[in-house]
Amino acid sequence: MNVFPTPFQTRRAFLGRVSHGVGAVALASLLEKSSSLHAASARPAARGVVYPLPLPQKAKRVIWLTMAGGPSQFETFDPKPKLAELHGEAMPESLTRGQQLAQLQGQRLVCHAPQFPFAKFGKNQTEICSLFPHIGSVVNEICLIRSMTTDAINHDPAHMFMNTGSQIAGRPSMGAWVNYGLGSEAENLPGFVVMVSTGPGRSPQPIATRQWSSGFLPSRFQGVQLNGRGDAVHYLTNPGRVSRAQQGADVQAITALNRQHDAFVHDPEIATRIAQYEMAFQMQASVPELTDLRGEAARTLALYGCTPGDGSFAANCLLARRLAERGVRFIQLYHRDWDHHSLLKEELPLRAKEVDQACAALITDLKQRGMLDDTLVVWTGEFGRTPMSQGNKGTVGRDHHNKSMSMWLAGGGVQRGRVYGATDELGYAAMENICTVHDLHATMLHQLGIRPDAFTVKFQGLDAKLTGVEGGGVIQGILA
Amino acid sequence: MTSWLNASFSGLSRAAAGRQAVAVIVSVARRHGDRRRPYALFALLAAGALAVSARGEDTFFAQRVAPIFEQKCVACHGEKKQKGKLRLDSFAQLMRGGEGGGVVKAGAPKASELFIRVTMDPEDEDFMPADSKPPLTPDEVKVLELWIAAGASETTSLAAIKGAPALAARKAPVAALAPDWHPRAAQIAQFEKSTGLRLVPRSAVPTDGLVLRTASAPTRCDDAALAQLAPLADLVVEAELARTKITDVGLVSLATFSNLCALDLTRTAVTSGGLGTLVPLQKLESINLTSTEVDDTGVARLKQLPALRKTWVFGTRVSTVAEDPAAAK
Ligand code: HEC
Repeated sequence: MNVFPTPFQTRRAFLGRVSHGVGAVALASLLEKSSSLHAASARPAARGVVYPLPLPQKAKRVIWLTMAGGPSQFETFDPKPKLAELHGEAMPESLTRGQQLAQLQGQRLVCHAPQFPFAKFGKNQTEICSLFPHIGSVVNEICLIRSMTTDAINHDPAHMFMNTGSQIAGRPSMGAWVNYGLGSEAENLPGFVVMVSTGPGRSPQPIATRQWSSGFLPSRFQGVQLNGRGDAVHYLTNPGRVSRAQQGADVQAITALNRQHDAFVHDPEIATRIAQYEMAFQMQASVPELTDLRGEAARTLALYGCTPGDGSFAANCLLARRLAERGVRFIQLYHRDWDHHSLLKEELPLRAKEVDQACAALITDLKQRGMLDDTLVVWTGEFGRTPMSQGNKGTVGRDHHNKSMSMWLAGGGVQRGRVYGATDELGYAAMENICTVHDLHATMLHQLGIRPDAFTVKFQGLDAKLTGVEGGGVIQGILA
Repeated sequence: MTSWLNASFSGLSRAAAGRQAVAVIVSVARRHGDRRRPYALFALLAAGALAVSARGEDTFFAQRVAPIFEQKCVACHGEKKQKGKLRLDSFAQLMRGGEGGGVVKAGAPKASELFIRVTMDPEDEDFMPADSKPPLTPDEVKVLELWIAAGASETTSLAAIKGAPALAARKAPVAALAPDWHPRAAQIAQFEKSTGLRLVPRSAVPTDGLVLRTASAPTRCDDAALAQLAPLADLVVEAELARTKITDVGLVSLATFSNLCALDLTRTAVTSGGLGTLVPLQKLESINLTSTEVDDTGVARLKQLPALRKTWVFGTRVSTVAEDPAAAK
């Protein structure tokens, strides 16, 4: 029996089509938003591959705040008085022997005291660096993990690992995984949105767009970057005399051609292309509404401390909330310039100021709108920093470090006002309740209703998963 | 790039993975054969024969054996700690054995290291659970004995092993939130098709109810759409109606959603007057009224809802703004 309609169709493409039912997109309906015809021809439900979800969803969406460059835990969330005592003395060799270092390899390793005092916040008197009074003020909502570890010690692989569960580029990033698994909720916005902000000042390492790639998943799951400043999407508006109806007609014609070709060769990337044209057309209407902050109360803008459209991390946090309200499943904000090999004391407070109020505002705002319960907020860098000083780059800083880092989560069914895990006296290595990046991913998937170990895609002969070959353990100890 | 399509095969490959896993275990057993207890391979092969069949939840292992390990052993033999290199948090792990090799010999409890450890003199330093943790009850010991004697299989059904003492249920069975939706699957699909809204199962448990999702295109959801939902009303436990076009008229339909637990009315046109119609919702636990015209009189009407625990009124005219942390600052 020949089940393959044309010789051009691969067996894989055929089977994929049958099981996923891609391609049944009704563009005509987009042009007739208000007509009842539209409802009648409603598109297939935006189901993900994991359906129904094995576990009740605790988090419906994720807002992931990436502090790119690797913030120092000693000047943020991990108080180490002992390190201050030993300031200037040699780091005990028993700790550092055999550890690979990025820029301190082969140098004399000297303890470097925390540069700023810590203060106590919240019902549990949690100690947080005094540069973060706003985050301190919402610490009762936060679950702070002081025992995170990672595998990589250089920026790009460490970001890759944090984003995709693999240090080597080419795997889908978590936003792509999540949308592939759960389906995208928003019809007129991408399910995975990325925004990048940079403070004024130094020029930090670049962040490549492959950090939000869909890897071996269909490209419609990749992250879509919106600009915080200027046009959120370049070339969003139609050129002068092109009306929305004309534009729609063009897209419709192109789609018809694409679909004809698709019927012939059945390449899934054609379905992706059709979907992308359609999404772009939708976004011409939805993005201006999204970024129009005129409806936001003055006190909300004051809460975040931003001016609309200034491209700041704070403005992006506000947009993140608006994206979340509009059904976007995975929102990742990058704030750059946390790589303090030098100028730690001078520069880190500036970064802290850029994010502190905004992070707290995001939590407060989600909470007051009843959205924090089902939104998982994650704040993390790609690695931690050494308790040893680095002085070979001018003024003093800290080197990259993977054996200890601090990060926090809020909402989405994790415990509130919790500190989990600890490092040794000098903050060199996580000692208690050691967590890995795979554990973090597993926990996120679990809160989204997915069993991390069963969420696999066959790739190059392996059942690939976000949590890697070793798999990750759900961090049960932080779940509410 | 077409490789993602392989996803459709992952179901198949997972079934095969059961077999692979067993093959791997056997080869490990061989490699360490000299150091292992001689019966390790035997137990593994017995497991392998069964690994390809479905793993139901109502097996003797899942219902009776695993809960014992979970309660009394996994703290030291699980994901975070693996004392004696032994994990007891899954069947496969159990069968992998510990430092000294296999710990279960199918058919022979008294020759199984695991059984020996829990039945020896509690004063013995090898006794399990170690460190004077609460020992197994005689009933629990009996369950392990019967299970090992019956072949120590993952898939033997609960009914197949007679005479096992009934232990406290694994987890108190969660009360059904709503009737099973499966018999009405066709109606659900029809509703989704005709309205463009979604009715999503809360979880794989069929009595966990459905979530009404509208975020994809909130403007599509209006009072008429809610009225269409009437025949399925008892299945909906959560209604996400934020930014939809529903009005007080829609609330009249909602009042028949007898199993509704969570209701999000953010930025809709509902009013304080309309909220009074929700009084029949005996199970409603949370209601979100953010950015609506609701005022104190509306909130007062909600006081009659017996299960209500959370009310959000940010951006409304409600004067009691205790829930508003921004204002509280
Ligand atoms: C408080 C911690 C603790 C608890 C709880 C505990 N164990 Fe152990 N277990 C140990 C330690 C430590 C060892 C390693 C030393 C030894 O072999 O006695 C071990 C070893 C074992 C071994 C031998 C593994 C091998 O291959 O050498 C078995 C079998 C075992 N445990 C069974 C159990 C069972 C069954 C339970 C639950 C009823 C249990 N344990 C609960 C700490 C614990």
